[in-house]
Parts: sequence; C-alpha cells; structure tokens
Amino acid sequence: MERSEVETKVKGVIARVLKINEAEISSDANFIFDLGADSMQSMQLVAAFEEEFDVEMEEDKALDVQSVAAAVDFIKSLVDERN
Amino acid sequence: MSYRELHKKEIEQLESQGCSAPDWKAVQVMEPFHPERIKDVSFSGTVRLGVFDAKVAFAGGMEVKSGIYSSRVHNSTIGDNSLVSTVGYLANYEVAGNVVIDSVGMLYVEGKTNFGNGVEIDVLNEGGGRGLKIFDRLSSQTAYLSVLYRHDNKLQKKLSDMIDRYVSEQTSEKGTISEGCSILNSNRIRNVNFGPYATVQGASVLDEGTVGSCKDDPVTIGDGVIARHFIVLSGSKVDGSVILDKCFVGQGVKLGKQYSAENSAFFANCEGFHGEACSLFAGPYTVTHHKSTLMIAGLFSFYNAGSGTNQSNHMYKLGPLHQGILERGSKTGSFSYMLWPCRIGAFTAVIGKHYTNFDTSDLPFSYISEEEGKSVLTPAMNLLTVGTRRDSSKWPNRDRRQDPDKLDLIHFNLYSPYTVAKMVRGRNILLELKEKANKELEFVTYKGIAIRRLMLKTCAKYYDLGIRIFIGNCLSDYIEKLTNGSKLKGFIDSLVRIKEKANDEWVDMAGLLMTRKAMEDLVHTISSGEVTDLEKLGQKLKSLYDDYTENELAYCLKLIEQTYGISIESISRDNLIQIVSDWKANCVKLNNMILKDATKEYDQSAMIGFGIDGDEETKTRDFQAVRGTYENDKFVKSLQGDSRDIEKSATDIIEKIKNMN
Repeated sequence: MERSEVETKVKGVIARVLKINEAEISSDANFIFDLGADSMQSMQLVAAFEEEFDVEMEEDKALDVQSVAAAVDFIKSLVDERN
Repeated sequence: MSYRELHKKEIEQLESQGCSAPDWKAVQVMEPFHPERIKDVSFSGTVRLGVFDAKVAFAGGMEVKSGIYSSRVHNSTIGDNSLVSTVGYLANYEVAGNVVIDSVGMLYVEGKTNFGNGVEIDVLNEGGGRGLKIFDRLSSQTAYLSVLYRHDNKLQKKLSDMIDRYVSEQTSEKGTISEGCSILNSNRIRNVNFGPYATVQGASVLDEGTVGSCKDDPVTIGDGVIARHFIVLSGSKVDGSVILDKCFVGQGVKLGKQYSAENSAFFANCEGFHGEACSLFAGPYTVTHHKSTLMIAGLFSFYNAGSGTNQSNHMYKLGPLHQGILERGSKTGSFSYMLWPCRIGAFTAVIGKHYTNFDTSDLPFSYISEEEGKSVLTPAMNLLTVGTRRDSSKWPNRDRRQDPDKLDLIHFNLYSPYTVAKMVRGRNILLELKEKANKELEFVTYKGIAIRRLMLKTCAKYYDLGIRIFIGNCLSDYIEKLTNGSKLKGFIDSLVRIKEKANDEWVDMAGLLMTRKAMEDLVHTISSGEVTDLEKLGQKLKSLYDDYTENELAYCLKLIEQTYGISIESISRDNLIQIVSDWKANCVKLNNMILKDATKEYDQSAMIGFGIDGDEETKTRDFQAVRGTYENDKFVKSLQGDSRDIEKSATDIIEKIKNMN
C-alpha cells in the first residue's frame, strides 16, 4: 500500500473517531494538542486503525505515536510487514 | 477498695464549702479523703468518691486539683483523681479514674438503656427490609451477612439471636465513663457509654450511644456534634457540627465539616465531610469530601465520591425499594448521577449522569461515561491509569486503625481472584459480543449499557494482560519463597495439592475476599448452630482471612491451566519459565502504559493557566516550580523502580527454576 493511500485512510479514521472534518486534519497535527484526543479516544483510534488496516498494534508502542504523520509511518510499517 | 461514710467534721466542712446532700450517709468516700477538694456540690442518691490528690492539666498550661467543684452529682461513682467541674447534672454514671468532666450541661443515664447497641438502622433500603442491628463489636463482615443475605431466614435468625444476646449484656441503668476520658464544654449527654481515653469537646447533643474508645486509639467527638442512636468505635473522629441519627461509625473513621448521616454505617477508615448520607452501607475506605454530595441507598467500599455526586431511587412507585452497588475501588466524577438500581463493577470510574439501570459487575476496571445522553462503558481502561495504581498502593498506608483489635478484615490486593475472575468473565463476554456484533454498528449493548464495538477486541486484550500479570504475581511469590535447591517434582506435587482447593467464584465480603464456597460454608456453620456467638464468628472470619494466600494460589493454578492450556500435573520447567517471562514482559508493558498516562500530568495541556503573565518559557518554569517535573515525580520513579525490580525478580526466579533438581 502506498504511503498516500495509508494517509488518506488514516485521516478518514481520525475524522470518524474524533468526529471532526477530514479537511481540517493536517499531516503534522498532534493528536492531543491539535486534534483534542483524550485518553479514551487515543485507545479508540488504535482500535479503529487495527480494524481499518487489519493489523495488530502493540498498545504501548502505538500510544507513543503523537502526530498524524507518525501514525501514517507506523501503520505503513505494520502493513508492509504483514504483506 | 473500700468506701466509708463521712465523718461529722467532714460533713461540716463540706457544708461550709457550699455542699449539700439530703442524706450524707449515702455519700461514701475512700481514704485518704480531702474535703477541701469538694466545693459547691449538691449530692443526691448513692454517691461514692475516690481519692483526689493529684492535679489535672488543661490546654494552655493551667493546672486544677482533681475533685468536684460547682456541680450536681446524683447516684454516681467518681474514680480516683478525676475532676468534675461545673457540671449541671451528672447522674447514674460510674466514672473511672483520671477522668475530666468540665463545663457540661447534663450528663446522665435515664432508665434502662443499651447505649445505642441493638438499634436497627435501615441501610441500603430506606423502606426497611435490610435492617442492621448495630452494636459496639460490629464488623463490616457481620454487617454484610446481616444486610445482604436476607434470602436466608435461618442465617438471619441465628445472627439476630447472637446480636440480641450481646446487646442484652450491655443493658444497664448505669453508664460508664472509662479511665482517662475528657468530656468538656458540652451541652447534653444522655445514655452514652464512653470507652477509655475518649475525648468529647464541645458536643451539642449525644443521645443513646456508645463511644467505643481505647487507649491505643482514642475517639474524639468535637464541636457541635449532634448524635442520636449511634455507635462510634476506636480511632474515629467526629467533629465539625456533624449530625448523626441512627448511625454506626466503625474504627478509624473521620466525619466532620457539617456532614450529616442517617440510617448509615461507616466501616474502617471511611471519611465523610460536607455531604449527606442516607441508608448508606459505607464499606471500608468509602470517602466523600465535598459539598452537595448525597450518597443514598448504596453499598460502597474503597470508593471516592466527586463533588455533587448523587444517586436516586425516586423513580419508584411502590416506595423507595431501589438500591445500588458500587464494587470496591470505584469512583464517581464531579456531579455524576446514577439512577438506582445499578451495579458497578470493581475499580470503575463513573463520569456524567446516567438515567438507565445497568449492571457492569463482570466488566471491572472500566470507565462509564455519558455521551449525548447515552451511558457508555469502556471496559478495562482503568487498568491502564495512574489513578488506579496509585489508589491501590495508598490504601494500606492509610489504615489509621491503631486498635490492636481490628474488627474489619481487609484484603487490599488490586489483582485478586475476585477482580481477576471478573476480568476472565469480562474478556469472554467482550469476545463473544465481538463475534456477534454487526460491523455497521458503532455500539453494542450489554446489560443495559452501550459499549463501542471497536473497543471490544482491544479491551478483551487489556483484560488478558491483567490476567497474565495476576498469574505471574502469584506464581512468582510462591517460587520466591522456596528454598534454593528445591526439587522440581516436589514443587509440582505441591502445586497439584494446592490446586485441589481452587474455586472460580469469589466474593468481596465488605473488604474480606474469599471463595463463594467458603462463604457458603460460613453461612452453613452459622445456620447450623456451629458458630454460637459473636466471638466465635469473629474467629471464623479471621481464619477465612488467613486462608486468602493459599486460596489465591489455588485459583491462580487453575487459571494457568485455562489461560496457557497447560495441566499443572504435567507442567514442565520450560512452561514455568515461559509464564515468568510472560509476567515480566506484561508487567513492564503495563507499567509503561501507566507511565504514558502519567506524562499527561506534565504535558502542555496540564500547564494551562500557569505562568499567568509570561511567555511559554515562564509557563514551563512556573509549572515546574509548582508541580515539579515528570522525571522527579515520586510515583513515576516508584513505577520505574517497580519495573526494574520485576525484571530482576524474574531473572532470579527463572534462575531458581533452572536450578531445581
């Protein structure tokens, strides 16, 4: 899967879980400070990414991911690994 | 100890000092008698006076000679070196030695009384049906049986008989003010017994009660307190104009700041300030500190109430029947509301207002929040929070009870068979819900509450993490205690023997954790008449308390079989090493997740409002000056240390397993 495709899907998941407009999500946005994700929403994002990309994430590593761009990289590496 | 009648000269001296008695023969004294220490006293009835030859020290440094001054004393005994001064009316009391009673309006016993023992209070259901007879040896465990096992008539009859027998032994027409008590500046005290070294200062009304103090752990009753039909036990402090009506206050309890309570029982180390309690069963460590907090018709323990916490049972049509249960370790956020009946699983945080009735007892360590009017459960989330870990470590350190005779038996374990069996059920429920869930739906519903479909798998995984940590904790503890050079076969044989006792079902008997089987056996021993009195019941409960560790290990071994698919009979050295390695990895993983949760306490959002007139740098510096840094946080350091200890411990245990012959 191309990085751009991963990014589009990641933004779609973020918009759905955080109930925000997809167009407002920039690649360098921080989940907590810019997008207002709380602890529970962070967990929901991890679960939603797992379902969307059919991957398993180590929660402690996944929660280290702070920005949209980092999430895209992290997920792409898992998808590549799976493939 | 022998008393004698007064000599003629002594009577003359007493009368010259403003004393009077209708019959001086009824006033008896002990040698050496110092008549100069009795002034302006009206005696009536039979009065016996001890020896007054010492001084009493007051706050501020003033010393007053022991004796009786400016008081009326009726039908009472005053012990050696006590001081009774400016007491409007002291009647029908046995006052022990070294007691100070100063500036008290009325202090008397009227007729036959049980001193608050045997008073039936309506806990959990305001309308009755769960009446609890309070007495000064009541434990949270006895109360649990009495209040919650109403389905067993035979048990109730036996328990009630035991309590009645004890209560009848307390009946008297005379009260006791024990050694070392101080009763100062108080208004009206009627039919109240005082244990050793109790202090009453500035109480307004105390009526029909027992202050069960002891030298190791005295009771304090302070300013403005109004208490009627009550028991207060050792180490407790009730002050700040508290109002109690038909209440039991156990050991090490603090009630103050205008708290009011009726028909409520507070067990070990509870705290109640500002708010209100009605028909409350406050198990050990139930804490409510804030105004506008009403706790009503509920069973709580290890609980913390946010400000404005409220529950109601008002949507009834046939009376206030409804009740609520918040299992141990739960919390409610500010202005949270719950409509009874509800049952909340252990270590769950409730946020927001909830107008539906739900039961989350099989889904512990959860968040319950309100989203657009809907009650939403996020299972297992509280396993990962700083707060849960911090709470569980602070409770044992906050046991205020200094009385060597502790009545409530308390297991503090965060991961126990009680909570872990729930995690096992919770994991299975979530996985089953996930299998059945329609992928188009955002929520599934379980026993009246919504759960996000997406979280089912993730939360099941967190429960699994907790289960594996519990298994590792138990097994490691057991192996650590083995001597070096133990034989593998002998070790496995011992595990097989212990596993025989395993029981999946556990109960939390208001602080005491035990298997359901043990509870059933206990109930049987009471119902069958094997346990005949409260003392024997206490011994039985203590032995169940002591059985915990072995029963915990037995449960753990059964859980190993279920979780790892390994039979204990055929468990190998490699299996044991795998479990310990798994334990280490999971503990460190969980600690890391909790540490991540803790970083939020120090991130940019936590700094909002700091550095009020400055720039970003000022904000950070102001925050660090007030809050400190993440790296130096005491809890963070201890958790990091915990991870290091676990890693070392796991290495040592694995080495020990490898060295088993």
